Amino acid sequence: MGKLDLGNWLDERLGLKLISRFLKEKKVPLHRHTPWYYTGSAILLFFTIQVITGFMLLFYYKPTLELANKSVAQIMNEVPLGWIIRSIHSWSASFMIACVFIHLIGIWLAKSYRKPREMTWLSGVILLLISLAFGFTGYLLPWDELSLSATKVGTDIPRSIPVVGIWVTKLLRGGEDVTQDTLTRFFGLHVSVLPIFAFLLIALHVYFIQKHGMSVPVEIEIKNEKPNELPFWPNFVYREMIVWLLLFGVLISVSILFPPSLGEEADLMAPAPEGIKPEWYFLFLFQTLKIFPAKILGVEGETVAIILILIAVLLFALLPFLDNKPAERKGKFVSLIAYLVILYALFMSIWSLM
Amino acid sequence: MAKRGVALFLLLFLGITFFLLKEISGSEEGQEELKKPKESGEKIVSSPKDIREKISVYVFMGWMWLSIFILIYILRQKISEADRILRLKYFKGNKDNS
Repeated sequence: MGKLDLGNWLDERLGLKLISRFLKEKKVPLHRHTPWYYTGSAILLFFTIQVITGFMLLFYYKPTLELANKSVAQIMNEVPLGWIIRSIHSWSASFMIACVFIHLIGIWLAKSYRKPREMTWLSGVILLLISLAFGFTGYLLPWDELSLSATKVGTDIPRSIPVVGIWVTKLLRGGEDVTQDTLTRFFGLHVSVLPIFAFLLIALHVYFIQKHGMSVPVEIEIKNEKPNELPFWPNFVYREMIVWLLLFGVLISVSILFPPSLGEEADLMAPAPEGIKPEWYFLFLFQTLKIFPAKILGVEGETVAIILILIAVLLFALLPFLDNKPAERKGKFVSLIAYLVILYALFMSIWSLM
Repeated sequence: MAKRGVALFLLLFLGITFFLLKEISGSEEGQEELKKPKESGEKIVSSPKDIREKISVYVFMGWMWLSIFILIYILRQKISEADRILRLKYFKGNKDNS
């Protein structure tokens, strides 16, 4: 079989020519906000690194109370370059979540969620929640003192939700307290359930983007000008590759220079250590919960805080429907809220660290 | 001139790769010491375990950044070429239309 025949053989079965034609015809709008487009592919880059390093760690990790901490210690001490793999996995999780935040903020400010891209936004918000769930479930897996205490605090928060709170806490923990059942659940969620949902939603998200094309910022759309366009292949992909290379280099360097340590094995009977802090991406929520007083008009302060946070998440998810006139006064008000939310999250995170 | 550059890069690339492989395989010797059981209350710090691994990791980082900068240089050339072809097509299209 010649080279050309093999190409035709594959094309007849896989429709490769359709894909290559699509890539050649795909255009990327060129304007001063074009660099925001790179954040989307950066998320995919870090997600891929997460999957690869996650598989590597899976070969050695054992999700039992006796062996979880020891197996992570084994990865760090005995497996050749295991400490780097663990470090890359841990850092790329942070990098990925940072990129998801930046990506969503960029879309919020550019109002790219406007008609007909509401579903793209919704799938993106769900992907943000999945990314946070990845971080939360992964944090327990090393089974050290800090991860146990943070999980106890984290899984205790839903308890304050009226009606379903206690049930949600029990569902997360697999019982009243954080035990082997919790570890098994979190491990299952982290390596199986969440990846399946993440893959499906990423596929759906990418499909929506391809269906509607890349959006232009609302300020350009108002002017009714057709922005310059760049062919996706090869002009834009080459530019993206430069970003990927730089991000990859930074990730590997940070992973080598600042690898995460592993604390003492968790003891279910031991009291929680002082000064527990969650991962950086939960700090603003953590601080928000802390500043609420014990009682507000006879209601538990934590309950009020959680209800407010849930309402905020819901409003955030429904932004495309709420901000349906992005070019008008209402749209400007929504932009102002976006800036205030960013400032609030930064301020609360810094405050939490002080 | 370009061929000489490629040859020099290949020589450097292979040399560093060989050095890295040698260093990493050499660092396995020090692993026995690491298999000691962890004492209670001890916090395990992730880091290169011996001087060989440390050197090899830092050499790898240098090699990685060198490769990244070379690849970025090549990609920038590719971008210029792709943009030039795009401009040619654009102006050719305009000429045909007029």
